Amino acid sequence: MSKKFSMGQLKTDLSASWAIAKKDMRIYYIKPGTLMFGVLFPLFMFLSFAVGKNAPAATLIPGLISITILFSSSSIGPMVIPTERRVKTFERLVSAPISFYSIILGKTLGGFLFSLAISVIPLFIGLLWFETQIISLIALIAGLSLASYCFATLGIMFASFPTENPGDIMMLLNFVRLPLIFISGLYIPIESLPEWGQIAAAFSPLTYANDLVRYALEGKTLYGPALDSIVLLFFTAIFLLIGMSIQRKFSEGVSLGKKRRKQ
Amino acid sequence: MENAIEAINLTKYYDDLLAVNHINFEVEQGEIFGFLGPNGAGKTTTIRMLTSLTKPSDGTAKIFGYDIQSQAIAAKRRMGIVPEISNIYDDLSAWDNLMFTGELYQVSKAEREKRARELLEMFGLYDRRNSKAKGFSKGMKRRLTLSMGLINTPQLLFLDEPTSGLDVQSALIIKDVVRELNQKGVTIFLTTHDIEEANVTCDRVAIIHKGKIAAIDTPEKLKKTIQSVQSVEVAFDKTTPKTLKELEKIPSANEVRKEGDKFRVYTHDPANVLSGLWEYAKANGLKPISLTTLGPSLEDVFVRLTEIEVKTKKEEF
Repeated sequence: MSKKFSMGQLKTDLSASWAIAKKDMRIYYIKPGTLMFGVLFPLFMFLSFAVGKNAPAATLIPGLISITILFSSSSIGPMVIPTERRVKTFERLVSAPISFYSIILGKTLGGFLFSLAISVIPLFIGLLWFETQIISLIALIAGLSLASYCFATLGIMFASFPTENPGDIMMLLNFVRLPLIFISGLYIPIESLPEWGQIAAAFSPLTYANDLVRYALEGKTLYGPALDSIVLLFFTAIFLLIGMSIQRKFSEGVSLGKKRRKQ
Repeated sequence: MENAIEAINLTKYYDDLLAVNHINFEVEQGEIFGFLGPNGAGKTTTIRMLTSLTKPSDGTAKIFGYDIQSQAIAAKRRMGIVPEISNIYDDLSAWDNLMFTGELYQVSKAEREKRARELLEMFGLYDRRNSKAKGFSKGMKRRLTLSMGLINTPQLLFLDEPTSGLDVQSALIIKDVVRELNQKGVTIFLTTHDIEEANVTCDRVAIIHKGKIAAIDTPEKLKKTIQSVQSVEVAFDKTTPKTLKELEKIPSANEVRKEGDKFRVYTHDPANVLSGLWEYAKANGLKPISLTTLGPSLEDVFVRLTEIEVKTKKEEF
């Protein structure tokens, strides 16, 4: 009965997701860990590699936006979910009469909106001081939105591992985020990478996010905005599926899915 | 009338550990049902399964006829949950905690504001409604957790150790509210370590031990099952460290326990113990200050049921 699709339940789930996102925004956006990993970390990472390069500043803005989106959107889930597990408020969500999807949607919305808000800062810096131009507004909106949502789901996927310490997840996540920066064409154009680098770049969602933002602001693209968007959607779906399956597995304890030995 | 809870062969394994062993019981609408058991007996796992937080390995349960697995959302809509740990948002005010919970349970804005005001007043928190919960005492946090469990006006309330470790004021407020809710028809499923609380609060209790229901009935009927465990409680004007050992020698005394300044002599023959105590007092120049004959308490039932297996096990070795 309840497994059947119902418009009423969908409306309920969406409104619960929005309530969860609003609550996360109020509680976690100004936490030191969020500001450190979501705002300061990408900025300093960018400056440490961009300062001293001879490239015009305007060409660095798409990279700064991409790296900001990567870090800001993927930091919220790993901050929020382990903390909520520790203080047992995550169980409050799971015990509410809403679907598990709505909890995940609410949690990703938190990262998505945080990232959108943060990523407009480097965009305005570029527009106001470095003669950055918006070549395609649609591609820009698509780039910011799809990349923010994709990396928010990346954060949720990592946050699904059963730990109560946000630091554990951040450490694990950085093992993935930091290499992505170097293989995704942010500092070195993908065309200039060795063959193995170009193959690796094709498996990085940051490649497509950066390519889409570069197209929106410089008109240059390697894969084309349509393919970039599709691949970002594909990665989003993969991260969500893996995240939800990990989440379900561990919310049931170590025993889920194993054949029981009857007495 | 549909049962509020119906556990059918409910079972939970954690790998090879059988935490809850094919249990069956019903809770009628409007009952206060106590779920007692020692630590690790399976109480929390059972509550987690009944509230859809943990998936049963076998069997199922129904909440007002809704299956907790296939109709989990409909079942959850009818329940309020107050876990053992006060899981509130410390960074939100008491008011915002209630508003958020109301949103999760799809309570309309007007209704949740009205309910929040009523609940905060009922639990003595209205004056602190705009304070962040992080500054609240343990008792205040517990009262706020209970308010959050009631924001959706549930028909069934799960209370896990509601008064454990609380100050007297908070414990009294919570007990009063539970009684009041029950009078309004809310079914209460209560776990507690406080056997006396269960004795005076619950219509029926179940005692779970090692994952199995050891007994289930009204407190009075359970006490009748162990009429052999009666006792005489005595306090003397003076005692020595030897008193306990000497009282154990009284004919018909099965066991003697020191409880504060009193001694409790368990027996199947209180009359014989009374005369033995009289002779002991006379022989030792003691004056009894108080003397009470007691029937078995719910705690005696609990101890008897949860110790029997331990003793049996020991005998097996």
